[in-house]
Formats: sequence, C-alpha cells, structure tokens
Amino acid sequence: MKPRDNEERIDPKTVTRRTILMAAGGIGAMGVLTARLYYLQVTKAEDYTVLSDRNRFNFNIIVPERGRILDRNGEALAVNRQEYRVLLIPEQVKDVEIALNDLNAVVPLSDATRARVKKDVRRKARFIPVLIEDHLDWNSFAAINLHAPDLPGIIPDVGQGRAYPNNGIFSHILGYVGTAGPKDVEADPDPLLRQPAFRIGKTGVEAAVETRLRGKSGKLKVEVNAFGRIVREWPNASDAPTPGEDVSLTIDADLQRYAAELFEEESGGSVVIDVMTGELRTLLSMPTFDGNLFVSGLTQLDMDALNSDWKRPQFNKVLRGGYPPASTYKMVVMLAALKEGIISTSERVFCTGKTQLGSRTFHCWRRQGHGAMNMRDALKYSCDVYFYELANRMGIQPIHDMAAKLGFGQTFDVGIKGQIAGINPNGAWKERRLGDGWRTGDSYNASIGQGFVVTTPLQLAVMTARIANGRRAITPHFIIDDEVPGFKPLDIDPNHLQFVRDAMWSVCQEPGGTAFRSNGSGIPGVDMAGKTGTGQVRSISKAERLSGVMSNAQLEWELRDHSLFVAYAPYAAPRFAVATIVEHGGSGSGLAATISRALIKRVLERDGMQARASDNSTTSQL
Amino acid sequence: MMDGSDKQRYARYTTVDSSVQGSVITRLYEVNWLLFALVFLIGGIGVTMIFAATDGQWDAGAFQHFQRLILGGGIMLFVALVNIRIWYFLAYPIYLGAVLLLGAVDFFGVEVNGSVRWLDLGFMRLQPSEIMKLAIVLALARYYHDLPGWRVSRASGLFGALLLIGLPMQFIFRQPDLGTTILLVATGFAIVFLAGINWRVIVAGAFGAAIAIPIFYRFGLKDYQRARINTMFSPESDPMGASYHIIQSKIALGSGGVSGKGFMQGTQRSGDYVPENTTDFIFTVIGEEFGLIGGVGTIAIYGVLIAFCLYLSFQVKHIFSRLLILGVTTTFSLYVFINLAMVMGLIPVVGVPLPLISYGGTVILTVMTGFGLILSSHLFRNAELPKGQN
Repeated sequence: MKPRDNEERIDPKTVTRRTILMAAGGIGAMGVLTARLYYLQVTKAEDYTVLSDRNRFNFNIIVPERGRILDRNGEALAVNRQEYRVLLIPEQVKDVEIALNDLNAVVPLSDATRARVKKDVRRKARFIPVLIEDHLDWNSFAAINLHAPDLPGIIPDVGQGRAYPNNGIFSHILGYVGTAGPKDVEADPDPLLRQPAFRIGKTGVEAAVETRLRGKSGKLKVEVNAFGRIVREWPNASDAPTPGEDVSLTIDADLQRYAAELFEEESGGSVVIDVMTGELRTLLSMPTFDGNLFVSGLTQLDMDALNSDWKRPQFNKVLRGGYPPASTYKMVVMLAALKEGIISTSERVFCTGKTQLGSRTFHCWRRQGHGAMNMRDALKYSCDVYFYELANRMGIQPIHDMAAKLGFGQTFDVGIKGQIAGINPNGAWKERRLGDGWRTGDSYNASIGQGFVVTTPLQLAVMTARIANGRRAITPHFIIDDEVPGFKPLDIDPNHLQFVRDAMWSVCQEPGGTAFRSNGSGIPGVDMAGKTGTGQVRSISKAERLSGVMSNAQLEWELRDHSLFVAYAPYAAPRFAVATIVEHGGSGSGLAATISRALIKRVLERDGMQARASDNSTTSQL
Repeated sequence: MMDGSDKQRYARYTTVDSSVQGSVITRLYEVNWLLFALVFLIGGIGVTMIFAATDGQWDAGAFQHFQRLILGGGIMLFVALVNIRIWYFLAYPIYLGAVLLLGAVDFFGVEVNGSVRWLDLGFMRLQPSEIMKLAIVLALARYYHDLPGWRVSRASGLFGALLLIGLPMQFIFRQPDLGTTILLVATGFAIVFLAGINWRVIVAGAFGAAIAIPIFYRFGLKDYQRARINTMFSPESDPMGASYHIIQSKIALGSGGVSGKGFMQGTQRSGDYVPENTTDFIFTVIGEEFGLIGGVGTIAIYGVLIAFCLYLSFQVKHIFSRLLILGVTTTFSLYVFINLAMVMGLIPVVGVPLPLISYGGTVILTVMTGFGLILSSHLFRNAELPKGQN
C-alpha cells in the first residue's frame, strides 16, 4: 500500500481547487446566516419585541373583599376575618419531610395533612407556596412566628376567610361559601372564580346575592421569568379591586338569638313576620349547624355527626319542613264556610267527642266532647267535630280555594332557594297524585289540618299575617334591596276576617281558650290573638282508643305529636305575626305557645312598643 | 555505497529548514501570531458575553472561561512548537487511543442527562468524543497523505476512509450524541472531498444518502431526536414543549433589532427565557444586546479567522499538513455554522456549542489544540515528511 517515491500523490492543486469550492460554500452559508439574522432582527423585529415584552408581564388577579351580610340593625352576620395560615415554599426547603417534622413540633400536623402537602409539592413548581394548614388559632400562629428562624421555608401568612359569628343560628339563612366547582365555573366565565383564594356563595343568602357580595376583581401587574416566578410587582400600573357590597337583611339578630335560646334543645322552627311589610324578623330552624365548618372544610367526623343527628340540623324546617298544620288550619276552614254561607255564626253543632261517617268514626281531641258549639266557641275550644260538620257540608274545594288565598300550596320569593310548596289538596290533586277519588273522610281530615294537608311554618306565618293585615296578600322576604314589593289585595270579606280575628283573640285572651294564660301577651295592655295546633304524627289504633290513648309523655319522641302555634299582636292594631313548631313537642298549648308568646313580647319591646289603650288595659308601661 | 539516486533520496530526509532545527526561541518567533490573536479575540468576546449572560457576575462563568482560554493558549502554543513530523507519526496511535477511550465510555462511562459521554477519572472528567474530533482529522490526513492519488476515487481508497470515519461514529452515535456524530461525519466527508474524490462518486453517494436518510430517520433515530426535527418545521405548534427553546431563541434575537438593547440590557436574558444562554445559545445574548450589528460582526470575525486558516493552508506543501489544517478548519466552521443555524431556528436543536464563545470545558481545549496543530503545520511547512512531496 505504501507508495514508492515516484508514485503519484494526491495533487495539491486538486486540494486547492476543492478548498476554494468549499470556501465558496462557506461564504454562501454565512450569507444565509446573515440574511436570516436580518430577517429576525429587522424584518420581524417588531413582532419579537412585542413577544418579548408579553413574555415578561402578567396580570395577576386580586381577589376582592367580599361584602358582609348584616341584620336590620347593622350587626354583621357574615364577615371576613383574618385567617392565619402556614405555607411551605419547596425551593427554600432542603427536605420536605424534615421541614414538616420540625413544624410538627410547634404545631401538630395530621398524617392526612402531611400526605396532602407532599402531594402538592410534587405537583407544583418549586417556588409556588403550598398551603399546610389554615384556620390556625392565634396561639399556634404566634408559636410559628416565634420559631420562624428555625423553620426555613415555612412561611406564616395572613389571609382572609369568611366567618359566621353566632354559632350557626343564622346558618340556614346565610348559607356558606366554598371554592368554585366545575358547575360554578361553567355558569360564570369570570376568571376570578379560578383563583384558589376565591370563595363563591354556595347556598342561602351567600349564593342568592353573590353578585352584590362579590365586588370586582383587581389586577396586579407583575414581572415574571420563564418559569412563572414573580420577580417584581408593579403596583402603580395595577387596578385596585372593588370590594363587594354589604347586604342587609330584615332579620333582627337579637330576636333570632333569643328565639334560639327559647328553643334550647328542642327541634323545630319559628318565623316572626311584619304583617304590614312582609319583612321577616326571625327565620329560625333548630337545631342549627355551624356554617364555619363548611368554610374551613368539613372533616368526615363532622359530616357523619351532622348526617346522623336525628334532629336534622342541616334541614331548614321553616322553609322545607312539611307538617300537618293541625288546628292552626281551622281559620281557613272557617273563612271558607263563611264564604260559602253553609252555616251561620250562631248555629250550634253538638260535639259528643266523635262523629260517624259511614263505617268510620272520627274523634274529637276531647274524648268527652265539647257540647253545643257555635263558630266562635269551636275555634276557641278547638272542637274537631264542629269542623267535621263544616267539611261535611261544603266539601274540600272551598277549603282548597280559601287556603290558596291565604298562601298555602305555593312558594314565595323570599330571596333564597330551597322552599317547598306543601300540599293544598283537593279532588283533582288526589286524582293526579294518587289516582284515587276524593272521599268525604278526606275532607274531614283536611278540616282539622290533618290528612293530606301539608304546610310549612313559613306558610302558617304568612296565613296569620294575612288574616291580621286583612287587606293585602302580603308575601314574606328578608333581603333588603331597592325594590319595594307591592302586594295584591286580599280577596276575603273583611267582615269574615274580623270575625275570625275575634275568635282568635278569644283563644288567647278568654279563659277556656286553648292558649289562655293569665297575662295574655305578656305586655300589659297588649292583647294577642292566635291558635294552637297539635299535629298528630301517628294514627291511633282502635285498640288503643279502647284501652286509653297514650299521653305524649308516655310516647317515644318520634311518635309524639308536633306542637304548633300561630299568633299576632297587638290585637288592636296588628304589627307582627309569629308561627312556631316544636317537633314532637306534645300539645300546641305547651312549648310552641310559650316560645311564640315570648317572641311576640320581645319583638314588640324591641320595636319601641308603647302600650296603647285597649279593651282590657288600665295602665300602660313597658 | 550510495549512488546518486540514493543520495537524492537521503538528501530528502536530511535537508531540513532552519525553522525546524532552530531553538525554541526561533520557533516562537516564527509562530503565526496573527492567528493566535484572532483566536483570543474571539475568546475575549466569549468572556464578555458570558459576563453579560450571568447578570454581570464575574465568577459565574466569565472568569472560568478566561482561565480556560489561558490554559488553552498554553496548549496551543505547546502543540504549535512540536514538529509536524511528530504529529505525523502520532496520527494513527492517537486515533486508536481515541477509539479505545470511546470503547471505555461504553463500559465505564458516566451518565449525564440521559446520555453516556464522559469518563470519570477522579480529578477530571474526560469526553473522548471531543478527542475523536481531532483524532479523525489527524488519521484521515495521514491516510490521504500516504494514499496514491489514483486510489482516492476507487473503492479500495474509499474503503479505508469510510472505515476510519465509520468506526468511531458507531460509538458516538450510541452514546447517544447526534450532534457530534453529524459533525464527525461531515468533517470526514469534507476531507474526503478535499482529497479530490471523483464527482461521479459524489453523485452516487448523494443518491445513496437520499435513500438511506429517510430509512435512518424512521428507524435509526430516537423519539426525542425526531421530535426535535419535527419542531423545526412547526415550532409554534408547541411553544412550551420541545420547540420552546427555538421560539425563545428567535424572540431574543429578534428583539435586539438593528443595534441591540445595549450591553447588559437584554431582557430575555435577564428573564431566564432562553435556556443554556451561557453555553449553546450564547449567540442570543449577542443578538439581543448588540443587535444585527453585533450578530453580523461576530459572523464576520469568524469568517476572517476561517479565511485566514484557508490562506495558511495554501502556503503549506504536504498533503498531510494541508489536510490537517483544512480538517481542523472544517470542524471549526461546522461548529459555527451549525450553532448559528440552530440558534436562529434554521435547523433543529442539536446541542453544538459556539466555539470559543460558549461556556464549556472540553470544547475550548480541543478547539485550541486544533489551532495549535494548524500553527504547527504552518510553522513546519518546509519540513520534510516521509515519502516526501513534489
């Protein structure tokens, strides 16, 4: 292979030629590069300058401060509170496990928390703070701050969270807030909803007036590097957020608290309504739940406790609770009878304690019977047999129509969602729902507010208010906004209404009345008119009737009758109406009446009630 | 007893140039300092731009680059002063040694970022593929120096060259290191071309490549390498992914405009938008801060250096020395063109640094060693190599 001296080598001239060729190629390549550079830097320069600026600046959304919810006197029921939290910044921490251990010595962390923190650290970029724990109490927060030098990468932080003082007494009304879920985001394209710190109203007033409470988000101009980390803020170029509007309710916080005290451990609800304006002063369902739990995040334990409590704290009994109104329904039947003209106010019906309809026997609550009853007495003593007779004469339809006028079988626009309409039955309804024909016996049951009739405490309050008002079909509401509702006229004969009012007065103020107490309304010179109800929950068997019907005290709680009471005051010039139910509370003249009376007294006092001259008064004082 | 022809023959071996026999001082004097200066000029640009790219920190790379330039300068000088004959004799041994080192990487190599390219010697890390770049030039130059001219275009001649190129290519491609493989193969073919291979062979080869490359693309490349090539054609379709690099690079360059934003004023740089902006993508800093003027200027300086090397090659007689100079120059030029094309989004990202300006370790040293070989070739241009020359 090795050539000898005189064998031809590669000709250097060839190499030279080829070199020049390659040099030409190189010059060509440089030309292409130069042209490309020109293209990028001159021709497309503007594009790239804009792009390079756009890369640098971001606008971060600032969550606006949420409006508060206030009662009628300005007391704050839903507020924003400083929230103490502790965060972890992964890039400032050498070892997440060790950091969490160190923190655990100051503030105990649950295993679930640690696992969650580790998962978040893995998922996010290393400079993004990860929430370890929020809703810290002051002591824990202070402790973390104290130990801060020994806890690198652990950052104590102050944020804003929603809080509901008053231990949940207003929970059913206020509702609660939470992070926006997929449905919320779909319904509202505002990017604010996607901010992790933003909370949206989920139920109750928080949800109903969300747009008023929310405010408008602000924008903070920040400079970020390629990894999204904020390197600088530009507050001058930013927009401040607009805080949300405070929303006032017609509810009287003191009154509601007082009502809750009156209920103690009982289950039920109470509504206090202004008979002139339809404003609700109290809307209480007991027992309540702590809305703060929902804001800070329910533990499984809390959830189980709420769900297994047989008094059903999460259930709003005044709006969604359907109960048989029992004797509180009798005013409806009376007005229907008066309208139909099937009986005169003086005609007497004899109550022997029971009456026969075909093969069935219908009983009066008073086994011995009441004797001869006229209409006024029938209401005062709450005689069932009298009302059976009314039902016998007119049937269900007139009762149904009168009930509709008084607000039954419908929902009202109170401002929040979650109400039931109850059942205002008639023949058509029964055909539709049960595929069965209406029987006279059904009318009998309906006439005493049992059977198919189902009402809510709110409806009972509205009924009472309409009777008290007499002229307008008032509707209830409790959120104050600029719209003033106008009410339709109440299409009931004023004379009939006066008669019924007088009968209701006798229930409370005349001896023998089922709600008579020696001091009437409790306020000297102020008379109260009302009606008791004892809602039967179980059917009493014939056998029991023979052996002796068990008293409520002898029964298990769930089998005891409900205790109902409706009333309004002052009788002379009605201002407020109240409806109360105590579940399984026994007879209506007991707990429900006691609570209602106390509430009427309190609301009148708070309204600066001056005692006025009335039929029974001598002196007047507060 | 020597006859006339023997004397002649012997004379060729014994006639030496003064530049060869002189002392070190004389040699120093003869060294082409212009080349030296050009190399350091470019190196200085590197130090400055690394300084800018690290937000004005001297210690975060600029100083280290400077240190390596000094070290490289020393090596360059040393290599230059060594007689070209020694390089001639060492050509094949060096080549074999490099191949063995590449083999060692296969067995003992250290994995970095998914590829195995390094040997950990304890006190330093060695990248044999870098050595290979010089070794192959030496080997091919020696090969073609020895080869009779008529064999160049024949299968017999071509085979040897392809073997020399193919052997290390196997190792390097499997590391995997696509960039270096391309560089090596391109340099090899360039030398083959310069040696005077027949045009017919070139055309035939081109045909073969046209068939082989698509097959290679489909079966020979890994997914990420394919992805890199794909993103070249439509980088905007995936701005945060594989083509993020290219888009950010173009933005940085483009935002420089004609005269740039000024020294140390580059926003893309300060925003960490262009990754690797002290190493492979350092040209973006030049482009952003000094604009078109800076960019074209840099290209021009490289052009001058390359042209000067070519000029030196014309002054050299031996095929070995010629091809050595041209081979080193080709490698160097390929670095520059590939890097700039990559940074400007003309070709996929292949991980080739900008020599003498990019921050790095091994590349500076091998490049400067290469220039040392050029200087040696030029210095000893009148020396006699075995088998003589016309």
